[in-house]
Amino acid sequence: MCQSRAVPLLALAAQTPNLYSPRPGPQAASASHKGFFETVLDQYFGDYITVAAFLGMGALLVAGAVLASAALRPNNPTAVKSQSYECGIDPVGGGWSQTQIRYYIFALLFLIFDVEAVFIFPWAVGLETFSDLGMGVFVLVEMVIFIGILVLGLVYAVRKGVLRWE
Amino acid sequence: MNVDYHALAPEIILGITVLAVLVVDLLRIPKYWTAVIGLVGLFAAFVPVLTLGFCESLDFCTEPETAQRVLFGGSFVVDTFSLVLKGLFLGATAVALLLSVGYIEEDRYWQGEFYFLMLCSALGAVVLASSRDLVTLFVALELVTGPTFLMAGWRKGDPRSNEAALKYFIIGVLSAAILLFGMSLVYGYTGELTFGGIRAATAALGDSALLTIGVILTLLGFAFKVSAVPFHFWTPDTYQGAPIPVTAYLSVVSKTAGFVGLLTLSYQAFAELRDVWGPLLWILAALSMTVGNLIAVRQDDIVRLLGYSSIAQGGFILVPFGAAVAGNVTGDQLEQAFFATVTYLLIYAVMNMGAFAVVIAGANRLKSTLIADWGGLSSYAPGLAGLLALFFASLAGIPPIAGWFAKLVMFSSVLGVDSGWATALAVIAVLNSVVAFYYYAKVIKSAWFDQVPDTIPAAELRGMGRAVAPSLQFALVLTAVGVLVLGIFPNLIADVGDVAKTVAAGF
Repeated sequence: MCQSRAVPLLALAAQTPNLYSPRPGPQAASASHKGFFETVLDQYFGDYITVAAFLGMGALLVAGAVLASAALRPNNPTAVKSQSYECGIDPVGGGWSQTQIRYYIFALLFLIFDVEAVFIFPWAVGLETFSDLGMGVFVLVEMVIFIGILVLGLVYAVRKGVLRWE
Repeated sequence: MNVDYHALAPEIILGITVLAVLVVDLLRIPKYWTAVIGLVGLFAAFVPVLTLGFCESLDFCTEPETAQRVLFGGSFVVDTFSLVLKGLFLGATAVALLLSVGYIEEDRYWQGEFYFLMLCSALGAVVLASSRDLVTLFVALELVTGPTFLMAGWRKGDPRSNEAALKYFIIGVLSAAILLFGMSLVYGYTGELTFGGIRAATAALGDSALLTIGVILTLLGFAFKVSAVPFHFWTPDTYQGAPIPVTAYLSVVSKTAGFVGLLTLSYQAFAELRDVWGPLLWILAALSMTVGNLIAVRQDDIVRLLGYSSIAQGGFILVPFGAAVAGNVTGDQLEQAFFATVTYLLIYAVMNMGAFAVVIAGANRLKSTLIADWGGLSSYAPGLAGLLALFFASLAGIPPIAGWFAKLVMFSSVLGVDSGWATALAVIAVLNSVVAFYYYAKVIKSAWFDQVPDTIPAAELRGMGRAVAPSLQFALVLTAVGVLVLGIFPNLIADVGDVAKTVAAGF
């Protein structure tokens, strides 16, 4: 969704220390003939300036996007438009409606395989390095065992009737 | 990549067993097969522990150049210390499983899952015995603790069991957070994760307030696990509310796992910081013994009494650590202290398991855990009353039963150190042994000399000793023989503990 925006932000993060120089090196401190207390305070507030800069930039981005869209779009409010959005269908009931407890188990199962993916991505990136070291088969078998255990868990859940919806 | 599969065999076998139990639970066969497979797996995992331990006298075994097998860059070490503890964990889990068989079956609660969780926890304990870096240690400890939260709340319909699980869970999560915070400070200061690396870094970098706080928080995280006073609040309620086999498991395997973490961290990672952990564990030992024993005196429920008794026993196990408080302590004396802790842990595991086995056998029939209701037990169940006397006398430390030898090495480890503080701790331990004797003897007196209370139908219960479930009988015999043999031939355990102390070498 907003991945195109993430890259320049990361690049900016790499540069900020140079922009604001929150931690003046020992040479800089001695060159400006500051006392110890001032140096410490500079570092202290320097760190906060970095944080504040990021906060400000984040606020600017959001505000800019909202203001720009407000300036460009036609303004035509209707009752339907102010309804809360529920996947495109008409909303049913109030905002405080209770959720089926069954979703909880599904969410849990989803989470397990979601986390599995988190483990698989770095593994996939590193696999080539390991195969260059002659450990490719070993590392592959390790991941197969890991996924096998998770699949066994899914089979267990299915057999225990967790995925039946009635 | 060269992986020493022989060194990993206990963990691999136990891991396969865990999965096998899960699969068997899905098949349409009687649920007790899950327990059988679990037991077989535990015994099968014991075989490589033995072949690793006696590697030099076996033909097929390729002996490593040193006495220890170092795997994964020093994170996982198989040496005699870890093998002794692995044996302890496997044996204690097997006994706990035997205790659970009839108990869980009676409740009709999800037997398969119960054994699955117990074996998962045991797997964590076995890994913990070998883990020699902060991350492996933490993951293993959480694997020990996580399943036990669920096991403590196994009696879903019983509010006490729910309370037990909730208290245990909240305190367990809190202690994990404290432990992790301490570990992060230690890592942040030293930049090392392996215990060897941390030791080298602390020797090179010297002391600092940050490191001291990190060490203290790390050890306090473990103090929760071993329920040392003042971090013991959860223990009595959890022990009383949880199903009794789970209590037995918690008080032996889970507690020993905490002590293993304390041992490896103190004597290896923080070996150069004796002046930090020595006084800290001195205080915890003195407090645990005193508070645990004094409150135990007032208990009228036998499970709650064993809960406080296990807090006090934890204090006795911590006593040898207190020897390090002396500035002039020598390397030999530290090794002696390490040996004393390992020996006490081994004997404590046997006698505490036995005591809980007796309590389960009695409570199954009497439907009561009040000490008063156990009055006159000897008149209708003499065998059970005899075993009760045996295990409680062992906990009190009466010769020639095993508990006596444990206390002997514990006292000699602190009295050997020429220091006022170490001697003071020994004096506190002596006074506490006297207090402990009072309440252990109170239970024995009730069973042997008191009248049978009117509420107990003694005539119906006559011969109930013979009606005890076979698995429970087996557990009782196993622990009783263990307590007697280790008490009469303490050199058996002395040899085992002696080889284990090589870990503390190098001071």
